[in-house]
Amino acid sequence: MHEISLVQGLLQQLSDLAAENEASKILSVTMEIGPQSGIVADSFRFGFEILAAESELVKGANLIIETPAARYACTQCGHVVETADGKPDGCPACGDLLLFPQGGDDLILRQVEME
Amino acid sequence: MCDTCGCPSPSDVHDHDHNHDHGHSHDHDHGHSKTVAVHASLFAANDALARANREHFNEVGAVALNLISSPGSGKTTLLEHTIEALKGEIRIGVIEGDIETERDAERIRAKGVPVIQLTTGGACHLDATMTHKGFHRLQKEPGGDDIELLFIENVGNLVCPSTFDLGEHERVVLVSVPEGPDKPAKYPKAFTSSHTFVVTKTDLLPYFDFPVPAAVGDALKLNPKLRTMELSSKTGDGMESWLNYLRELVARMKAGALK
Repeated sequence: MHEISLVQGLLQQLSDLAAENEASKILSVTMEIGPQSGIVADSFRFGFEILAAESELVKGANLIIETPAARYACTQCGHVVETADGKPDGCPACGDLLLFPQGGDDLILRQVEME
Repeated sequence: MCDTCGCPSPSDVHDHDHNHDHGHSHDHDHGHSKTVAVHASLFAANDALARANREHFNEVGAVALNLISSPGSGKTTLLEHTIEALKGEIRIGVIEGDIETERDAERIRAKGVPVIQLTTGGACHLDATMTHKGFHRLQKEPGGDDIELLFIENVGNLVCPSTFDLGEHERVVLVSVPEGPDKPAKYPKAFTSSHTFVVTKTDLLPYFDFPVPAAVGDALKLNPKLRTMELSSKTGDGMESWLNYLRELVARMKAGALK
């Protein structure tokens, strides 16, 4: 549900960007949702569709969501695992059980297409 | 700078980022549309205010703790007992976050410490802006200008609050015994982003299937740096390690060792 307030922040940024670039219509928006960000891509899209429909500037814009693979570093040997299937049970290199998430906790506006 | 008191916040009302550092545009061949590469974090505005809050807490020498849990885990009850136990020893202040009502603030006020209630009016979490405004209000309460330990009781929710830095020094996640032991596995972000994990209502362990080592093990697997403790506000079991943790934080702040 916090996705809605993040979408509100996004719409404010889009409106600032459009003004700076003298654009009147946002055509597409590319977001990167980090695997550890706690943001649910479907909820973000749902919030975007609802709020975009109320905005002349953003209505009908295409939302592209990129979700990079999650990275975990082993606390023992430093080996880094990249995976799209949730946290591994142990380190594939040394078998240690203590893996720490590495980055991926951000929500980033990457690119905007406008006219 | 904040126009309420001159604390380091960017501004009291301005809670979005204008991104002045983006903006090299690339012209493409589709009509007169253009594509602008931005690469701006949507958390940037909140994170900037959170950093300002942390500086403000450091300036006034207050340790700030952000308490996160499901509704009904016993956060307010733990605070009531903590205030009683530390009375005359540590000056405590509380920011209560809830969707509606002043009820939690009234319970804390009855214990004689400065408290303010933030009602989010539907929002499922506190953010750095609300915390900033809340702390200013708290400082105007009797005793609010001299707080050593600030508890920020977040909205009862294990999901959304974990995404928003409030500027706290440490984040504490609480799970009560009746909720079941699988909260760490189901709501990992609350545990990966916290410093301390407290199992509450341990007096109910005989009546519930809550294997403490399994729950704590799951949490440590997610976050090996997590400090863990178990307690019952009702019987007082385990309270001493909680209180010592708070004493240690306050001592570290006084020594200038808490950032």
